[in-house]
Amino acid sequence: MKQADSITGQDLREMFAAATAWLEKSVADIDALNVFPVPDGDTGTNMLLTMRSTIEEAHQAPDSSASGVAQAMAKGALIGARGNSGVILSQILNGLAQGLAEKESFTGNDLAEALSKASTVAYKGLSNPVEGTILTVIREAASAAQEHASSVSDDVVSVMEATVSAAKESVANTPSLLPVLREAGVVDAGGQGLYTILEGALHYLKGEVEQLKLRRPWMVASSMPLTAKMPQMVGAEEVPYGYCTEFLLRGEKLDPDKISRRLKDKGESLIVVGDDSTIRVHIHTLDPGNVVHYVTSLGTLHQVSMRNMDEQHKDYLEMQKERMPALDIAIVAVVAGDGLADVFTSLGAAAIVPGGQTMNPSTKDLLQAVDLVASEKVIILPNNKNIVLTANQVQSLTTKTIEVVPTETIPQGVAALLTFDYETDLETNAQNMNRAKSSVKSIEVTRAIRSTRLGGLDIKKNQAIGFLDGDLVAVGDKTDTVLNEVLARADLNAAEVITIYHGADTKPAEAEQVGSAIRQEHPQLQVEVVQGGQPHYNYIVSIE
Amino acid sequence: MAVKIVTDSLGDIPSEVAEELGITVIPINVLFGTKSFRDGIDLTTDQFYHKLKHSKILPVTLVPSLSVFVQTYDKLAGETDEIAVITNSHKLSASYESTLQAKELMKKKCRVEVVDSLWAVMAQGLIVIAAARAANAGAKLDEVMALARRNIPRADVRMAFDTLDYLKRGGRIGKAQAFLGSKLRVTPILGIRDGGVFPFVREHTRAKAIDYLYDFAMSFSHIDELAVEHATTPDEADELAERLSSKFPKERIYRSKVSPVIGAHVGPHILAVSVLGDKG
Repeated sequence: MKQADSITGQDLREMFAAATAWLEKSVADIDALNVFPVPDGDTGTNMLLTMRSTIEEAHQAPDSSASGVAQAMAKGALIGARGNSGVILSQILNGLAQGLAEKESFTGNDLAEALSKASTVAYKGLSNPVEGTILTVIREAASAAQEHASSVSDDVVSVMEATVSAAKESVANTPSLLPVLREAGVVDAGGQGLYTILEGALHYLKGEVEQLKLRRPWMVASSMPLTAKMPQMVGAEEVPYGYCTEFLLRGEKLDPDKISRRLKDKGESLIVVGDDSTIRVHIHTLDPGNVVHYVTSLGTLHQVSMRNMDEQHKDYLEMQKERMPALDIAIVAVVAGDGLADVFTSLGAAAIVPGGQTMNPSTKDLLQAVDLVASEKVIILPNNKNIVLTANQVQSLTTKTIEVVPTETIPQGVAALLTFDYETDLETNAQNMNRAKSSVKSIEVTRAIRSTRLGGLDIKKNQAIGFLDGDLVAVGDKTDTVLNEVLARADLNAAEVITIYHGADTKPAEAEQVGSAIRQEHPQLQVEVVQGGQPHYNYIVSIE
Repeated sequence: MAVKIVTDSLGDIPSEVAEELGITVIPINVLFGTKSFRDGIDLTTDQFYHKLKHSKILPVTLVPSLSVFVQTYDKLAGETDEIAVITNSHKLSASYESTLQAKELMKKKCRVEVVDSLWAVMAQGLIVIAAARAANAGAKLDEVMALARRNIPRADVRMAFDTLDYLKRGGRIGKAQAFLGSKLRVTPILGIRDGGVFPFVREHTRAKAIDYLYDFAMSFSHIDELAVEHATTPDEADELAERLSSKFPKERIYRSKVSPVIGAHVGPHILAVSVLGDKG
């Protein structure tokens, strides 16, 4: 359909039927995103099954008013709801029906009101609502709809457009609200599912029949990298997952609040929704028998489903292999400082072992990290001369295959890490990384811990000293002066990139000044100043 | 009657080459807001990148309506009784799906065979070019299709990116998501694996990235066809083609511009090398 002032019940049904078909196209993609509350990879499937039941029931609506169809849809959703997101989706549809009550047809304004009601009802169904999920997406989408309807236009299509666009933004933002998504580098699966449904509905409203047929739904990308550590570590605190237990309870004078209170301590992710005759319960519990025992005393059980989530999780791990470039090689790096750890993680290191100069990790520390990563083949970047030997010992203690690329400085480690090629095997990668590490010059500036004479230079305790590739070449009172002295000794004319990592004891402004000075003197250079946060070294600089 | 070859504009075949070899290219549309442009027809590549840089609206890409496909095949069916269609990867656009549907809707009688190349840019283009050469030399439809299928695993491509922002916003980042969020400024090198975008390495500088593209081409033991593509940096492409001429005759290196429909997803400054050949 195209351009309409108001939407009838039939349009409402067709619109959600189109949305269901649209959702179906990305079920597998949505399943693969699913890490919260349990990484069991079924969100897309559950939402689709919920929508199917919704549409089936919509066809049984007693009349063709918007209100009648919406009520039927809500009923279908409640009866057919599956999984966490499915039940929340059923609450959203329930709220939508409440918002459209007694309406023959609805306008953009009505739609905005109904979405707002949907959001309220969705939140109410949960004893412990979590942000960064489908809940956040419906709330933000609804609020955008209201704002648009009240201050821009009451046109249904344009209100829906505002809703969809806000939903998309909201989905993209979920990783910043929910740490488990951030760690995994994914957006929330339920949120993506809801966005897809709304987008499908919009396509229908705009009459984009061919788009619905030929295009595929847009998967919102997280701006965080998918992390290699993800599959086994995500949601680790909830292990073992137990059973995802769901059923429909029918009876008389049922009290959802009371049931919710009684089941609260029996598991995680509890949702109890419905009315006094039909209630849907969803819970993750280690003891489903206990739950079932209680509710059978209240009425009759229907559509009972208990799924072993530990089994589902295994399937989920298999599914992730489709999404990741490769999981068979992991990189473990020894790094000190928050900023530097971030740099290494953002470039693909699967695990960071804290350590460096004067704080060498033990073989056991390294071994633990090697055991922790999902891969059977591991490359270790020691990033310090004194840690190379320790790293070499790890191989004798593990059945995993280890390659140590003997990086002696942080810049060498970064250069090596950058060369890592997802398509190449362990040996070739190690060779390439070895070659890459020698293509970089490293500067380190620190303060002397005692007075001494070294490399022909007299050094007083606490003076700044500068090393070029491990050789002491400059000494002075100020760290930036010493850094500039070392830089003068390095041949910057042949260089392309200079990266300055400033340490925990160095003022960022001072580092920026050093950076600007280099840029001025060597305009051809790409100069980056990065907060490394490392202890001990005021500056670590790489010249490539 | 010679077999007619059809492909889509994701293959980046230069128009003069398509004309010379008699390849029909179905343009994929680029949408800026509600305004639709047919790739290479309503919008030149240079105009497009200018708009991409300066427009606030992000372009999206869309395969044309089924009728465009049907009309194209019906028109060709008047000239031949055998059509070979080589599309871009089904993971990147709906071109393959549309082709299959359009085939059913044709009014004229004609044998149409379709293959999903599982590639895009000139990796797709080189497979199409090889098929067109065979068709022009008299190969029948089955032979042309067999050749195209043999060539699919022999093609490969690497692309140096300036930023992954466009790819991310366009929703086709695939496994290259592993390269997002880098704390250092890097030049990601991506390619295509199994029809989807795949991350290979990150280089710290543009110069090193170009060296990587060079090494990639040099790693082939035998090269049938070679292409160098750019979006907004012709000088870089010239220089790279010059370096590659030590391996492959310069006059045979296809020089192409990354089409807007790809550009919408990869952004300006893309530099790509595609090879049809054998490794090891």
